[in-house]
Amino acid sequence: MAMKGGGFERKSKASSEVPASSLADIAFLLLIFFMVTTVFQADKDRPIAWPEAEAAQKIDEKQKNILNIWLEQTGSVYMNDQPFAMADVSSFVAPLYAASERALVISIRSDRQTPYRFVDQLQQELVDAGVVRVVFATQLEQSLTRERR
Amino acid sequence: MAILNNRKTKVSDEVPTSSMADIAFLLLIFFLVTTTFPKDKGLAIVLPEPGETLEVSQRNILHILIQPGGVVVVRRGENPQEQQLRPDQIEGLWRHEVSQNENLIAAVKTHPDAAYEHMVDVLDALQSANADKISLQVLEQ
Repeated sequence: MAMKGGGFERKSKASSEVPASSLADIAFLLLIFFMVTTVFQADKDRPIAWPEAEAAQKIDEKQKNILNIWLEQTGSVYMNDQPFAMADVSSFVAPLYAASERALVISIRSDRQTPYRFVDQLQQELVDAGVVRVVFATQLEQSLTRERR
Repeated sequence: MAILNNRKTKVSDEVPTSSMADIAFLLLIFFLVTTTFPKDKGLAIVLPEPGETLEVSQRNILHILIQPGGVVVVRRGENPQEQQLRPDQIEGLWRHEVSQNENLIAAVKTHPDAAYEHMVDVLDALQSANADKISLQVLEQ
């Protein structure tokens, strides 16, 4: 029997194409992995009017080491979505501060019309808790809006 | 000749899956690129340690008193002379004062009834002028 090329030109059984059927599974797996592992800020925003500042800088600390303290116009204090009495702030913050190995940063989110006495009381509570790093959270003020005032 | 009705259809009856991978990767990359985590911005200060007090010469203190209406009164050390300013004038004032005395400390004293935003305005002006020695206090009557 005469074979073309003497029988050496055998057809390869391996496919010459990249197997594309599993790529979709891989991509969806990655998509779902990132969707599940992404953690967003834990506490809800309180309705406050933010103060504005030009010199505001980004807080240079990991998200888990930032504790937001919301201070409303009436002087009510919220941490982790729960209301607190002003006098209880220090006893709540101190263990958190110790657990974070003194890396905790407090972000004071106060309404712009809050009377300063409440801010001062809050600062005293934080000093009592031994916290040193505090940030007055603000929105960035554009230089244009400043000139208009 | 074959029966005409029994013709093979040329349209595939399967969902085309070869482009699914492209769609999924496109979505993945789109979300990876567009996701931005909002980083909080703010004016950072360092609070004193509990029980920490410092004796400071009156000569090195610039008293900045914030009144309830937002008017800022500036006093230098023990000098009884007062100067009324707006918060946005503090930046220039601080730059001028600190060029004459490097050890100057800004003592920001806010009236208990003054709005928080006035204190933030003054703190903003001081930090814009690169002031690092700032003391926040409440104004005692």
